[in-house]
Amino acid sequence: MIERWALISGLKGDLETYERIQKDLKKIRGDITLFVLGDMVGAERDCNSLIDRLINPHPGDLKPHCIYGWWEDQLLAERGFRGEQKADALRLNKGEGIVKALVNAVDPYYLNWLASLEFGFVELDCGLIHGSSKDIGDKITIDTPPLILLDRLTRLGVNRLFTARSSQQFHLELTDAVVNSYVKDLGGDRKQEQKVPKRGVIGIGAGAYYTLYDVGSDKTHFLNVLDQPKSNTRGFG
Amino acid sequence: MKQAVISCLHANLPAVQAVLNHIDRQGIDTITCLGDLVGYGPHPNEVVDLIKEREIPTCQGCWDEDVVDGLDACDCSYPSQLAERRGHLAHKWTTEKLTNENKDFLASLPTSIRRDKLLFVHGSPNSQHEYLLPDMDAFAALERVEMSGAETLFCGHTHLPYVRELGQGSIRITLKNTPNKQTEEKEINLPMRRIINAGSVGEPRHGGSKATYVIFDDKTNNIDIKEVSYDIDRTCKAIIEAGLPSIFAWRLNHGFEFAELAEDASHVCER
Repeated sequence: MIERWALISGLKGDLETYERIQKDLKKIRGDITLFVLGDMVGAERDCNSLIDRLINPHPGDLKPHCIYGWWEDQLLAERGFRGEQKADALRLNKGEGIVKALVNAVDPYYLNWLASLEFGFVELDCGLIHGSSKDIGDKITIDTPPLILLDRLTRLGVNRLFTARSSQQFHLELTDAVVNSYVKDLGGDRKQEQKVPKRGVIGIGAGAYYTLYDVGSDKTHFLNVLDQPKSNTRGFG
Repeated sequence: MKQAVISCLHANLPAVQAVLNHIDRQGIDTITCLGDLVGYGPHPNEVVDLIKEREIPTCQGCWDEDVVDGLDACDCSYPSQLAERRGHLAHKWTTEKLTNENKDFLASLPTSIRRDKLLFVHGSPNSQHEYLLPDMDAFAALERVEMSGAETLFCGHTHLPYVRELGQGSIRITLKNTPNKQTEEKEINLPMRRIINAGSVGEPRHGGSKATYVIFDDKTNNIDIKEVSYDIDRTCKAIIEAGLPSIFAWRLNHGFEFAELAEDASHVCER
């Protein structure tokens, strides 16, 4: 059976969109693993129903494997789970009102579950992270310089990086990377040519926009649950 | 014009005096210091006073930062609990000995100094605690220089002096897929960049016991790594008399470092 990953992020409490994605995924054949790359919470709406559904999937739901994202990190900081840090980045960018709205959007009952989530997953030779291996707030986009992409891959020691923070959907491939290094020290000189194998960075989207990844063929399918096709079949049989 | 770059003085006054004399004898006026004025050694106030007196532009090193802000680096700074314990002893001793005036001076130091296309930092442009080792991943090393906007990066922290040129690089980047099936392919030539590590004046770890520093000639672009002898016994005696861990004296005498090794050059402290 074809192995596929479904990767979603940025739901920010939107249970309805999550349900539509779950429904969408039921139509797709294959052995699907569902990853939720953070930002389950946000300040726009009450997030408790979505969190509850992620913790307690309904019968027939794909079981979600969740990591925390930037909004969870800000919430946990504000709630005292990050030492002396508070939600400074959110406060600076969006103001005190949004910080309060975020705190009010999530019942304290769910904080321990959110705090137990991992920073990222490493599956096969792939890193699945909300931002990047450098920082949870790192926005990797289609225009990020290739040296930064390679750095973020190298830090994790993976060949592919799935990222959500920028909300963009893209699949970049890095090939034929080579650089010559010449080192002179007190022991003498040495030259070295360094090459890196083919590597990839995939932006998975956010909210209604999600990504299906064929593990065997390294193919990405960028989907959304906004423009649903009239037919029930989606062509991934 | 020739300029000298010194780093990692580590409160070793005889070594600092010898290196500054060596630079003076060559008629070099421009000296830049990459930090770690204190830590491990027995003369923190004397070394800070000398740098202040000579008005040498200085970056803040990881020890300078920690002495001011308190130890808040993660455990990556030390390879073992034993090394960490010794480091903490030196930190406590240094904090007690340093005058408030000198602590204020260390707190006032910038984390980087930029002169046109030259950037001077202690560890890396990312962090005073990040090690740029001579044989670290070449792409990661190039990223550190390029993303800082410099053409030549001067750093210390490793206590290993070296010059590393990174060039003749290229990479092919392919946009394989987007929601509207957009594809694109381009080859990018990577820039040539240079990392120059000044080694250590006060606690060499390059395999010899001499103090090291570098001289950069901006006309010829030439770099010379210099080794300078100093009165090691004087420093070692002062280490023992101060009650600092005797292993600090031992390793100055033997000229290599068996304790602190940063194996993961890409690691950045979670602080």
